[in-house]
Amino acid sequence: MTDELQHPRDSVTPNDPQPDPSPDPERKVRSVGERLPLIDGPDKVTGRAKYAGDLAQDALVGRILHGRYSHAEIVSIDTTEAAALPGVVCVLTGEDTTQPYGILPIAMLEYPLANGRVRYRGEPVAAVAAIDAATAAKAISLIKVEYNELPAYYTAEEARAPDAVQLHESRAGNQERDVHFELGDTEAEFANSDLVVEESYQCAEVNQVHMEPNAAVAEFDPIRQHLTIWPSTQVPFYGHLIFARCLGLEKGQVRVIKPFVGGGFGARTETLHHEVICAHLAKATGSTVRLTTSREETFITHRGRPETQVNLKMGMNKDGKLTGLASEVVQRGGGYPSYGIVTILYAGTLMYGIYDIPAVKYDGYRILTNTPPCGAFRGHGTVNVRFAIENLMDRMSEELGLDPFEVRRKNLLVTPTYTANDIMVNSYGLPECLDWVQKESNWDERIKNLAPNKGLGMACAHYVSGAAKPVHWTGEPHAVVNLKLDFDGAITALTGAADIGQGSSTMVVQCVAETLNLDASQIKLMANDSDHTPKDNGSYSSRVTYMVGNAALDAARSMRQILAEAAATLLDAKSEDIEFDGTLFRVAGSQDPGIEYMDVVVEALKDEGTITAKGTFSTPVSAQGGRKFRGSAVGPTMGFSYSAEVVEITVDPDTSQVTVDNIWIAHDLGFALNPLSCEGQIQGSAWMGMGQALSEETRYHNGLLISGNMLDYRVPTMVESPPMDIKMVESIDPNGPYGAKEAGEGSLPSFIPALANAVRMATGVRMTETPITPDRLHEARARYEREQANNVAAE
Amino acid sequence: MNSVLQMTVNGRPRADVVADNMLLVDYLREVCGLTGTKIGCDGGECGACTILADGGARLSCLTLAHSCAGQVIETVEGQATRGELSAVQSSFHEKLGSQCGYCTPGMIMTSESLLRTNTNPTEDEIREALGGNICRCTGYIKIIESVQAAAEIINASREAAE
Amino acid sequence: MEVLPEFKLHRPGTLAEALKIRGSLDEARYISGGTDLLANIRRGLTPTENLIELSGLSELQRFEADADGLHIGAAVTLATIGNDPAIKQDYAVLAEAANAVAGATHRAVATIGGNLCLDTRCLFYNQSQWWRDSNDGCMKYEGEICHVVPTSKRCYAAYSGDTAPALLVLNAEIEIAGPDGSRRVPLDDLFNDDGIDYLTLAPGEMVTMVHLPAASKSKTASSYTKLRIRDSIDFPLAGVAVRVTQENGKVTALDAAVTGTNSTPIRVTGCDAFVGLEFDEEQGQKFAKLVQKQTSPVQTTTTKPQYRRRAVTAMSKTLTQNLLQALSA
Ligand SMILES: Cc1cc2nc3c(=O)[nH]c(=O)nc-3n(C[C@H](O)[C@H](O)[C@H](O)COP(=O)(O)OP(=O)(O)OC[C@H]3O[C@@H](n4cnc5c(N)ncnc54)[C@H](O)[C@@H]3O)c2cc1C
Ligand code: SF4
Ligand code: FES
Ligand code: FES
Repeated sequence: MTDELQHPRDSVTPNDPQPDPSPDPERKVRSVGERLPLIDGPDKVTGRAKYAGDLAQDALVGRILHGRYSHAEIVSIDTTEAAALPGVVCVLTGEDTTQPYGILPIAMLEYPLANGRVRYRGEPVAAVAAIDAATAAKAISLIKVEYNELPAYYTAEEARAPDAVQLHESRAGNQERDVHFELGDTEAEFANSDLVVEESYQCAEVNQVHMEPNAAVAEFDPIRQHLTIWPSTQVPFYGHLIFARCLGLEKGQVRVIKPFVGGGFGARTETLHHEVICAHLAKATGSTVRLTTSREETFITHRGRPETQVNLKMGMNKDGKLTGLASEVVQRGGGYPSYGIVTILYAGTLMYGIYDIPAVKYDGYRILTNTPPCGAFRGHGTVNVRFAIENLMDRMSEELGLDPFEVRRKNLLVTPTYTANDIMVNSYGLPECLDWVQKESNWDERIKNLAPNKGLGMACAHYVSGAAKPVHWTGEPHAVVNLKLDFDGAITALTGAADIGQGSSTMVVQCVAETLNLDASQIKLMANDSDHTPKDNGSYSSRVTYMVGNAALDAARSMRQILAEAAATLLDAKSEDIEFDGTLFRVAGSQDPGIEYMDVVVEALKDEGTITAKGTFSTPVSAQGGRKFRGSAVGPTMGFSYSAEVVEITVDPDTSQVTVDNIWIAHDLGFALNPLSCEGQIQGSAWMGMGQALSEETRYHNGLLISGNMLDYRVPTMVESPPMDIKMVESIDPNGPYGAKEAGEGSLPSFIPALANAVRMATGVRMTETPITPDRLHEARARYEREQANNVAAE
Repeated sequence: MNSVLQMTVNGRPRADVVADNMLLVDYLREVCGLTGTKIGCDGGECGACTILADGGARLSCLTLAHSCAGQVIETVEGQATRGELSAVQSSFHEKLGSQCGYCTPGMIMTSESLLRTNTNPTEDEIREALGGNICRCTGYIKIIESVQAAAEIINASREAAE
Repeated sequence: MEVLPEFKLHRPGTLAEALKIRGSLDEARYISGGTDLLANIRRGLTPTENLIELSGLSELQRFEADADGLHIGAAVTLATIGNDPAIKQDYAVLAEAANAVAGATHRAVATIGGNLCLDTRCLFYNQSQWWRDSNDGCMKYEGEICHVVPTSKRCYAAYSGDTAPALLVLNAEIEIAGPDGSRRVPLDDLFNDDGIDYLTLAPGEMVTMVHLPAASKSKTASSYTKLRIRDSIDFPLAGVAVRVTQENGKVTALDAAVTGTNSTPIRVTGCDAFVGLEFDEEQGQKFAKLVQKQTSPVQTTTTKPQYRRRAVTAMSKTLTQNLLQALSA
């Protein structure tokens, strides 16, 4: 597979032919490029789909006791009363869960139940399994915990203070990681720039609010010492490793089955404590335990986007050319590492890959604080930095009297290329994205005729299509897909890719069907059962379409070859001359009556029996980034998606409330394997950007999450959600499956700065904070008006 | 306090011994085994638990089971008849009104109740009717399109019947 | 599954039955649509051993107009009120306020009685049991101090019903029934400026009826606007109802009321000053000042109180101007 990949290090112009040609419009049956409804849609619309909390209604009920302090030593836990309560089957504390875990092998500092110390308010300290929910709740209320409070830090600044108590022994200065690099000479570039501006940006912490609260069901067979678990996760495989590790089992004694999952958006790209606790309870009771959590508990588990301070310095010449970019990023990471190291690295490396900037400097700091741990959230690492950069670009364009579109065009990459930090850039549809949104929004006219209180803003963004290096480096391929063909003629695709609503299962079916020239309805799919399906790293960093899609193609090609050989035997021809039109196999160009598919299957199975065709995908070394600085392995990808957005808004003069009237988005996704679901992804991500831009933020009172409900954490409702005009730009990536790249993240980061830029146009105020809530904007406008008045007075 | 609760659920008359303090959502999920009805929040804030009581949309997480004694309850599981998806269900499937599917049962039931009283809702009426149903995946656009498509199907089949 | 505290549910069919049940119990709460009460009970707030359901009381379903005006039973739903053509026509402010409550699915069961009597709200109160325990509760429930105004002797939880200001500007009266008989009072008398004792109802009393005076013959316009971040579900950060009449370009009557800013809905006093005047920019400013002086939000929501006050002030003025403009047109 690897040798088929195109990458510019080998040949600077990406050359045809692609690994598989674009879908042939002449084909009778087509799968890719079709608006195919999701293959599991019928289950979802009928209520048949089972999510973790829907399983095993007769199981024992698990429940967690959450600590009441932000930072404290646990002096003692008295569980006697709880354990004595009739109906309680077991009570566990940190003493029973002594193996730490964590998504990054170098940062396993979290315990399923706190190990002698709590580091954020709400951290699990004990758990019970009982015969019913009422008993479990009662038992929790009977557990007595004695604490010794420690000083707690709710901002990165407090935690970084020289005399601050360390949260973790191994993390000096409460710093999870600092990252520094400079490529090119930024100060020299600034010195020669026509305009250099510095500005600070502050983004509030946001949460994924996947609609399904966290849940798991675990079954332990004490005789075979075997765990089966159904967790609400995006990464069943990482869970597998962690369950084995924490429970002291061999990996072979664990089976992970991912049920339907109600969203994730990154919160579930790591194994969460409720899953491990549920597994522990199952093992301790030797039975089946169901652990569902409340919305508040799900909020407190967090793993959202950190509160971030971005200090930027950027240089631009009169013609709009960017000269240099220096950024300092400080993230309030919460009590445990989670993905923190990756987040702070992404925040730096993803300054690259979208524009050509001669010199870039980065200083990133990931800080541990006494708040719930932050993790990977859609647009992981790039969102807040992109907000700052695109916002500042807009300001500098304005100061130089330049059109914001022209400024972006001035800084386009010449592709294919490697960026200064060794990231491969192949397909690059950003120019087309810019053209489309400018034209479709009628920007040039619209901007001239804006009514009062209306504003128009634009911005761009990009995102990776899978991290080129996996979290756990094992030397295995990034993705494996197996196809099983049996006596019934059915082809079953077996994949470990975790469909969490984004449609990955449908994508696999489409890639296989297209390659085999079968109808999608002829392909069956089995996903995410570790006893049956090949391992997959999981659904994160938008890796699935690119990597699993390619593995599916690879497997389907092998299967096609097997069928062609069988047909060749029957037709007494060479396999490369065999043609399949979806119904009949023939020798190409011949007038044969043709052989039925089933007859070829029978021939193929002769002597062989059930056939398994396997496909893999691995990223070539040349896509994995260089070694120019420590951590440069985070950021490299096989391909970036690109997006450009225009947002039109109205600001209420009395209340400063922002209403989004229209959105135009162009998203370069390489190739739309399924335009229906790609649209859904783009709409969903831009809309989620709107939430962060306007209304969403977590709030704490001394570390206690105030906004742990869906009234105070304001996910937009249907009433104020805008229509969108979408263009899927198809740049046909040379290595993507049928040219496809990422579709579900890249349109989130561009929304936020586009909105802020529109606010500037509507009100004169340049917001450097998110979310732009009415109270924030109101205050900023008052300040701005005072300044304007003072300026007038001064003149 | 337990007593016998009688109601019709998805066309079947039931009688169960149910506690006074049991929420309708828990009754449906745990007593009836109808887990299609979802729980997305800690009470009244997301719409995932919406069911129909005597044809009207209700939040089953803010309703006591006993308050519905004698009523006709419908859940998402009862919408398909003889293996055929309802107009709302098939539209949510075809138009991708459902991504992860977790908000979907609530969305479908709320839409169903809207379309039973108003087969030609404007876009604003759809938005208003579904305003209390939160979806985190779709950005709502395809949900609105699904409801509109369902309205078309319903109207077309009415016209055909006339 | 959510475990609610144990209680007995009573489902009477008539008012007399309800009062009789109530009379036989030491302690009980009334429940109508339950959209406020059950959300609170689920969080361990407002504990009770007996719930008496009012939705089934035939008397409370009354909804009719006669020469005296309009009579709305306390169990009439907000959906019914918000969609009623006559209310939309003659009491627009009430229809708008009713339609601004929560989301459509809530309004299908939420009642006008429940909306008037809904519990006051605060960031430190509308939280889970675990949350409040971790914060040592507060004066309103299971605690000693107020976290919003720590030096305070009272609770400032915000009254957050949308329909109260609308009914106030319509000069509604309510009927109250209890163990000691029934009485009819101006709606103003239902409320008390205290986050804990926010209603004046005696134990066992309930609101049974809302009476609105017959629609005025003169040219009247009324409307409600609500400050909230999202356009559905959100409680009011503030809300203002205004009713004006105008003749020959001069104001002949002006009523305004505000919700969401204090522990009680506020009837804006001093509006008589505008009678006989043209409501120009200057008068508009004066009116805004009145509103500003009489509203005093504190940090009971995540949105800043200063902002809520400024915004409601500006909204009040614009709303009044728009209504007068519509009347002139
Ligand atoms: C997500 C969400 C959003 C909401 N948003 C809003 C909003 O924007 N605006 C708003 O105003 N409300 C809102 N609410 C609260 C609630 O839905 C409404 O206030 C509703 O009108 C309450 O009516 P109900 O009949 O459901 O009251 P219930 O919950 O039944 O009762 C509320 C209170 O009033 C008492 N009560 C009920 N009826 C009577 C009576 N006849 N006499 C005396 N006491 C009585 C009860 O004992 C209880 O204390 C929201 C609720 C939720 C869950
Ligand atoms: S205002 Fe003070 S006393 Fe009242 S609920 Fe809020 S914190 Fe408690
Ligand atoms: S579960 Fe009922 S509204 Fe959220
Ligand atoms: S489809 Fe996932 S929440 Fe709506």
